[in-house]
Amino acid sequence: MTTKLLKFTLNGEMTEVAVSPSDMLVDVIRDRLNLIGTKKGCGKGECGACTVIMNGEAVNSCLVPAMKAMGAAVETIEGIGGPEKFHPLQESFMDLGAIQCGFCTPGMIMSSKALLDKNVNPTSEEVREAIAGNICRCTGYVKIEEAVFAAAKKMRENQIGRDRNEQF
Amino acid sequence: MLQDYLLPESVADAIEVLKSGNGQARIIAGGTDLLLDIADGKKEAVCLVDITRIPELKKITLEDGVIRVGAAVTHNQAAKSELINEKAFALAQAARSVGSLQIRNSGTVVGNVVNAQPAADTAVALVALGAVAEIASPGGVDLVPVEKMYAGIGKSAVDSTARLVTGVKFPARSKNQGSAFVRLAQRRALALPMLNVAVMVSLEEDRFQWVRIAMAPVGPGPVRATGAEEFLRGAAVDPEVIKKAAREAAVQADPRDSALRGSREYRLAVLPVLVRRALEMAVAQAKR
Amino acid sequence: MSSFNVVGQNVRRLDAVEKASGTAVFSTDFKLPGMLYGKVLRSPYPHARIVNIDTSGAEKLPGVKAVATHKNTPREKFNTSATMTFTVPTYEPVLDQYIFDNVVRYVGDEVAAVAAVSEQVAEEALKLIRVEYEPLPAVFDPLEAMSPEAPVIHECATGKNIPGEIIRIPFGDIEKGLAESDVIIEEHFKVPVQKQVQMETQAAVAQVGADGKITVWSTTQTPHPSRMILSKVFGVPHSKIRVLNPPYVGGGFGVRIGLSAKAEPIAVALAMLARKPVKVVYSRKEDFIASDTRHGGYVTVKLGARKDGAFHAIQMKGILNAGAYCSFSCETPGVLGAMGLAVYRIPHQYYYGHSVYTNTTPSGAMRGFGNPQAMFAIESVVDMMAEKLGMDPLELRLKNIMRVGDPWCLPYKCSSTGLAQCIERGARSIGWERRGKLNRPGDKKLRGIGMGVGTHVSNAWPFCVDYDNAYVTIQQDGSVHLAAGVPDIGTGTSTTLPQFVAEVLGVRLDQVSMAFADTLTTPFDIGSHASRTCYAAGTAVVAAARDARKQILDYAADFLKVAPEGLDIKDSVIYVTGPNVGAECAGTGVCRAGGGERTSVTLKELAYHAHLRNKQFIGVGRIVPDNAPPWHAHFAEVEVDTETGQVRVIKMAAAHDVGKAINPGIVEGQIEGGVLMGVGYALSEEIRYDEKGRQLQDSIHKYMLPTAEDRPEIDAIIVEAEDPTGPFGAKGVGETGLVPTAGAVANAVYNAAGIRLKEIPLTPEKVFRALQEKRGEA
Repeated sequence: MTTKLLKFTLNGEMTEVAVSPSDMLVDVIRDRLNLIGTKKGCGKGECGACTVIMNGEAVNSCLVPAMKAMGAAVETIEGIGGPEKFHPLQESFMDLGAIQCGFCTPGMIMSSKALLDKNVNPTSEEVREAIAGNICRCTGYVKIEEAVFAAAKKMRENQIGRDRNEQF
Repeated sequence: MLQDYLLPESVADAIEVLKSGNGQARIIAGGTDLLLDIADGKKEAVCLVDITRIPELKKITLEDGVIRVGAAVTHNQAAKSELINEKAFALAQAARSVGSLQIRNSGTVVGNVVNAQPAADTAVALVALGAVAEIASPGGVDLVPVEKMYAGIGKSAVDSTARLVTGVKFPARSKNQGSAFVRLAQRRALALPMLNVAVMVSLEEDRFQWVRIAMAPVGPGPVRATGAEEFLRGAAVDPEVIKKAAREAAVQADPRDSALRGSREYRLAVLPVLVRRALEMAVAQAKR
Repeated sequence: MSSFNVVGQNVRRLDAVEKASGTAVFSTDFKLPGMLYGKVLRSPYPHARIVNIDTSGAEKLPGVKAVATHKNTPREKFNTSATMTFTVPTYEPVLDQYIFDNVVRYVGDEVAAVAAVSEQVAEEALKLIRVEYEPLPAVFDPLEAMSPEAPVIHECATGKNIPGEIIRIPFGDIEKGLAESDVIIEEHFKVPVQKQVQMETQAAVAQVGADGKITVWSTTQTPHPSRMILSKVFGVPHSKIRVLNPPYVGGGFGVRIGLSAKAEPIAVALAMLARKPVKVVYSRKEDFIASDTRHGGYVTVKLGARKDGAFHAIQMKGILNAGAYCSFSCETPGVLGAMGLAVYRIPHQYYYGHSVYTNTTPSGAMRGFGNPQAMFAIESVVDMMAEKLGMDPLELRLKNIMRVGDPWCLPYKCSSTGLAQCIERGARSIGWERRGKLNRPGDKKLRGIGMGVGTHVSNAWPFCVDYDNAYVTIQQDGSVHLAAGVPDIGTGTSTTLPQFVAEVLGVRLDQVSMAFADTLTTPFDIGSHASRTCYAAGTAVVAAARDARKQILDYAADFLKVAPEGLDIKDSVIYVTGPNVGAECAGTGVCRAGGGERTSVTLKELAYHAHLRNKQFIGVGRIVPDNAPPWHAHFAEVEVDTETGQVRVIKMAAAHDVGKAINPGIVEGQIEGGVLMGVGYALSEEIRYDEKGRQLQDSIHKYMLPTAEDRPEIDAIIVEAEDPTGPFGAKGVGETGLVPTAGAVANAVYNAAGIRLKEIPLTPEKVFRALQEKRGEA
């Protein structure tokens, strides 16, 4: 089997890893690059636990051949924030009880981030559309939706703050 | 066993790979269906030829009243496209109904047609819109109506190891026209439809000039309700007429008993409701 | 009401940072050097004898390190569920499984397993195992499985294919009660197989050391009982087996009370054969077809009432589908009956129930454990009774619900109830007064409102062995370590238990750390199930913290030269209380309570002071919990599309008496998640079988659990009727969200469209047919 050198930007860093044509992106991320935040709940694109953002769009990394990431920009939960500076979504998920078992959380946050990156003022319908492919069996989605709205509000305020700083 | 994965940047290159692959190379777009089929052993490929890096296939265009959706256009691209929402609403709604947003961000409209599942949402919409597929092969380009793309249940008329569907095209609606798509499913995301119906209507004052009605899964591919279409030609736009046409449409449906998605009897009973609702929505759009 | 510093506060979960940053480790993430991957060969037949099995082809495949079958693994019978470790005498646990047997009893039953260098190689190897089956007759329905013609699935003493014993719950005189009733309604209900679909599939990593010690990282909800099971299967003493979560578990909902299906024993068996660590992760399909489900089956309710609406007699029967192996099939029919009978004050009661083996996926524990099955039936009948009596269903319920101290069939007291308040607040949230006024003539989409109520347990005692231990250790710097053996399967255990400790000791929550879900570092605990961790493990943790507190205060009393009763702790400072100290004395140096120079000492200073004198404060909690009933009233507003049969739940108001809510946000989360799972149970979730015994729904794609786009508005309302037996008055909440949900939804559908379905889920097709029949009658 031919292996190929996959070059892509992972969480802002240029990354090179040898992959085979049949490798899926989720396995490369988890097993080869040891980023275990991206979860594998079904391997068939049905649960969303493996959601990553590729070139700005949320995708199921279990249905993306690793080779499709060639030259792409991929973001995982590890890349969006951490204890030194959490992303507003991570903050609001923690503060508003949107996390229970935590298995869906990374995918859920990545789907939400893909939405808020494009639209910081989403409607309830837009939020639900964004996360409908992420199954959560613990929360009934109630606090998750609340957390997405809270993060959106924070991001809007940050934006206003930034705009103001630029003005002065 | 998969040996290679190629990302050609032009249609010519992709066709060249297919040609030299001698049936061992297979086209992949979003891959959301194909990869599962390969994993289940239902399809085989030694080399996958990924067409999503070909610039001209990634576009939705309008030229001379004809909309063209390239083979790498994702469901979500179509669902969010202003052009599609304004000029081919049925397709926007159908594309929005597929799987989940993650699936819609990978899977393509054309892939949905080529995968040839009986209830493929966007294929149903495309049939109602009168879409034609452009198929490239070493021998040139063929044009085939989307309706004729089915060679059996789950079997496409296009062999993706030899030919490449580069896109689909269909007329944009004019002012007196409207289209709509309705779907009956067991949940609002991540569900195949129990039934889906797409229609396009063209009105002339208070009469139907012509109508196209596509229904699924009531046959190997989207099924045209030609009887109802004929019945509506020149008929008055009237709730009773629409109801009657909807009942007439069901006569041409031949759904299976599905343990997962409803009995034949149930689907036949509910189909006229969906046809009626789709016609009402399309008429409303045409009148706006 | 006393106020607390940490208890009752919405503190951020202690596991939130790891889970939000993607660093939380689950079993499926766990890796060891040299680890192999295990895959399982499963039966394609619902019932067959294995005539021959040839593994030579698989063994020859490069990369394959071990192949396990019934021939080279222990022939020790067990039960994958923890029931084999906690069945209360004089009942006997049913042990009816081997790791691999030479008979397979359902599609998906384990035939063999392979350990190899990669999952791909292991899967390739499975294809090379040649198995010769002799198919046997199979049966899929529990009623049919009791018939003389049905195949014997396991030899049973009680009756044809009946595992364990028949459950009979007599109370009062049922014959007399029915004879004295003015109105009697008897109805038969059918309930579906529901699946937990916890997000992390069953998984285990096993390592067998050179010294023979076994370590298993797995998704179990009960590490200590799981260790007991593995000890029996492999003949290794408890002391040489360690079972732990790594430490997070991607949901449970009952699916791994005991082993994680067979992930642990298969991983251990392969690790022993291969002499390398082995990881077994179930695919989602395996999780669907070869991992316990909720019990489907049949429930009959016969309810008698007096003319004035007073319930006078209730007779219930539950026949459940056990599936191919027993798991929790002895206990579930008992809980179905006991919980069903406990809701209303009815002088004459009788319940009869049991499970029946069939050639389907084993049924076991799932959130609610028999109770949702009971309450769908009972709450449907109560609504029918209200109609027959011409009463408001809400008033009828209020008239009949259990009050504190009322006699009931349960072997512990009805020690608290906020059910009347739940009904009142739920009714207000849904707008009960709008009921019956929601539709206009000619509407095709009809709205309706319905309700359902229920109760549950706060642990498994006295139905199962149930006790807890906890250690609270004050570290030398005054920080606090808690050790308790319960896992955190997502329900917030690792936050609420430290909240108890912080409250009792008077320290800040960030000073408390916790070891959990590990047999090596925690004392024995029965585990996370039966809505019990906050209530029962919480009771042990509070006891341990109080013990530690007493030691601290006794030592501090010497240190500060006052009586311990005159001391309190706040923000990790032990200080002298009473009228002679405080702000007004500050700096005056005159009003000392004791003979000492100081009026306070930090816990940090005190702990180190003690350390230098060879002493540490270690609190021990060892408790057998009492039990307490949580209560709940659910109100559903639905819309029925009469042209298609589709039902949409618009809103669920779910009022829950949880006793004291230790962490209200976590409590709401439990209710909301349970409610949506209940909506799925009511409307769409089920696993059915084809004629060959194959599961029709074996993926998330086919199994219709609700997505974010399907959820109704959910109003989780907390009612706090504090229970005298619970820690700080807390009661269980983990399971209650889906207990009365299906009944409330079914009653709302009746209110909307006048159709009464006695079988859930209320799929569009079933509703459509019922509407057709109703039109036919009209």
